[in-house]
Amino acid sequence: MPVIFINGEAVDTGEHRTVLQAALANGFYVPHFCWHPELSVVGNCRVCLVEQEGRGVNIACNMPVVDGMRIETDSETVRAQRKAMLQFILLNHPVDCGICDKAGECALQDYHYAYNGEPALSREPKQKGTKFYPLSSRILLDNERCILCSRCVRFTREVSKSNVLGIEYRGDSALVRPAEDRTLDDDPYSDNVIDICPVGALLSRSFLHQARVWYLEPTPSVCPRCARGCNVQLWHRKPEWRLKGLDPAQNTRILRVTPLENPRVNGPWICNRGRDLGEVLERPRAEQALQKGAGVTMMEAIEATRALMAESTRSIALVSSWASNEELRAFRNALGDNFTSFVKPDRLPEEGEVVEDELLIRADKNPNTRGAQALFGSDPPEIPEDADLILVWGEGVDFGRLPRGAKTVFLGSWLLPEVGHADVFIPLSIQTERRGHYTNFEGVVSAFESCQPRPEGVIDAETLFPLLAAPGAWGRG
Amino acid sequence: MKHLIPEFERMKRRLPPGHDATLLLPCLRRIQEDRGYIAGDDIDGLVAYLGVPRIQVEEVLSFYGMLRREPIGRWHLQVCHNVSCSMRGAERLLDHLSGRLGIQPGETTPDRRFTLSTVECLGSCGTAPVVMVNEAYHENLDAADLDALLERLD
Ligand code: SF4
Ligand code: SF4
Ligand code: FES
Ligand code: FES
Repeated sequence: MPVIFINGEAVDTGEHRTVLQAALANGFYVPHFCWHPELSVVGNCRVCLVEQEGRGVNIACNMPVVDGMRIETDSETVRAQRKAMLQFILLNHPVDCGICDKAGECALQDYHYAYNGEPALSREPKQKGTKFYPLSSRILLDNERCILCSRCVRFTREVSKSNVLGIEYRGDSALVRPAEDRTLDDDPYSDNVIDICPVGALLSRSFLHQARVWYLEPTPSVCPRCARGCNVQLWHRKPEWRLKGLDPAQNTRILRVTPLENPRVNGPWICNRGRDLGEVLERPRAEQALQKGAGVTMMEAIEATRALMAESTRSIALVSSWASNEELRAFRNALGDNFTSFVKPDRLPEEGEVVEDELLIRADKNPNTRGAQALFGSDPPEIPEDADLILVWGEGVDFGRLPRGAKTVFLGSWLLPEVGHADVFIPLSIQTERRGHYTNFEGVVSAFESCQPRPEGVIDAETLFPLLAAPGAWGRG
Repeated sequence: MKHLIPEFERMKRRLPPGHDATLLLPCLRRIQEDRGYIAGDDIDGLVAYLGVPRIQVEEVLSFYGMLRREPIGRWHLQVCHNVSCSMRGAERLLDHLSGRLGIQPGETTPDRRFTLSTVECLGSCGTAPVVMVNEAYHENLDAADLDALLERLD
């Protein structure tokens, strides 16, 4: 392995082929806009300047590692030239950080404070550009803020392969634009460009002006919308920034979803469905236990279920593929002997949705089919005509097609019609209200944490199952 | 553009395999030479023939000022207004042409005879000011020369 010297320190460059990678991996920060670990090297922003002894200043992102080379990342020359580069990059930039969603997590802002800090030297009027140019129904482009690093363009060419974006015209008239007959709506991974844009040029329409990022914090979670189980971060207000004056729901709402890098699952990307988790999770909740459609207490609903279990001679359970590994184990341990269990898909592909592709999206639109099948087998649900009790855990079951004579117990979280049709309905917590794990289609287990309070009247499945098996536990637990 | 494909095929044979996209610029030039401008169906044809994404063709078309997406007049008058030509009176020539033809740079006369444009250095600074008429250079011009020139253009 080549050894190079960075700021006088010997560094084993390992697998890294460029000076920038070797420096970053060894704790020497070198600023960079256009370089991204998952994209090709273009070397157009010129901010990653370093000095090589005997050869002068050049860009680190495109500088091959050569055994014994001596690199300075912060010499006086580097500092001066980096500063000059930042002057160029800001030449036509409107510096409208005050109204920019990226403020607080913007590389340009950070580098300006760290490496430049001076007002513009240019006296020329700034070139005007389009603000709020609609790239799609999801994304707006602010051409004045764009520094033309081409990360977004390379993403659509090299990662999502939609080939939608390009840079048209040249010099200070250059503009990021979609092809004339396309929009970014053609790209099911488009929102990743918002994350990788080093500045505030690409804006999420759903997050536009919703919150200052420094009032928010992320909770690690897992996207439940397909069997990939992409690791994500759910962004919500920090507890110390919850405001009494705000609608309580706003204080805990998920304001945006971003990828949580996991090389074994999703790398640094997620699809747009994952960004729209709210579509599923924020559907109106069922928060009241019911017996034949009439409100009862949780205790009464549990008793009623136990009575149905005691009477039944042929009990079938349709197990949720949205349940966590912990919940699935709790079910098997507490009730495994009482039911013949089958795993069912809670959700199927929706109209217009990408069913499956080569990057991330899987046809199985459930996060834990593999975890559930590991405990309950992979036979498709088969309900004998003489079944007299059917426990339906999670959505996706048409009650009209269950045997007429059978009693039904429904465990669910959202206000679906089945809630009123079941003999007993017990409302369960959702993923954001408890912690747990899902096993994705390749067997990789990912953890999710809770970030929202469990509504009153709703129970965790892990608490419920032991109670169904032994009601004496109620009150003690 | 279809009738040019045999020509494109000959160019292709000079390239190592897998580098068809390299032909984008020569193909665009050839199409413009042939038809006078590059039309929407030329772009579609190239996308299919070279297997490049449409956005890449649009990038090249918008980058190079000399590639046109619209037809122009029979005579294309390109006035150089870079430093040397400017110092030797290019702006006066431009105003003169504008006045005589009744059009601004970038426009075409209603009878579609003339299109007037400005260009950057034509590499002929020693004989500035220079006006390019279609493929021919006219050098060391003044207003009278221009008038004489216009007389010769039908
Ligand atoms: S929009 Fe953002 S990512 Fe795209 S080129 Fe501009 S600065 Fe780079
Ligand atoms: S690929 Fe699947 S798991 Fe990943 S974000 Fe999209 S829907 Fe969610
Ligand atoms: S990061 Fe090296 S030139 Fe942009
Ligand atoms: S400036 Fe006109 S030819 Fe060079």
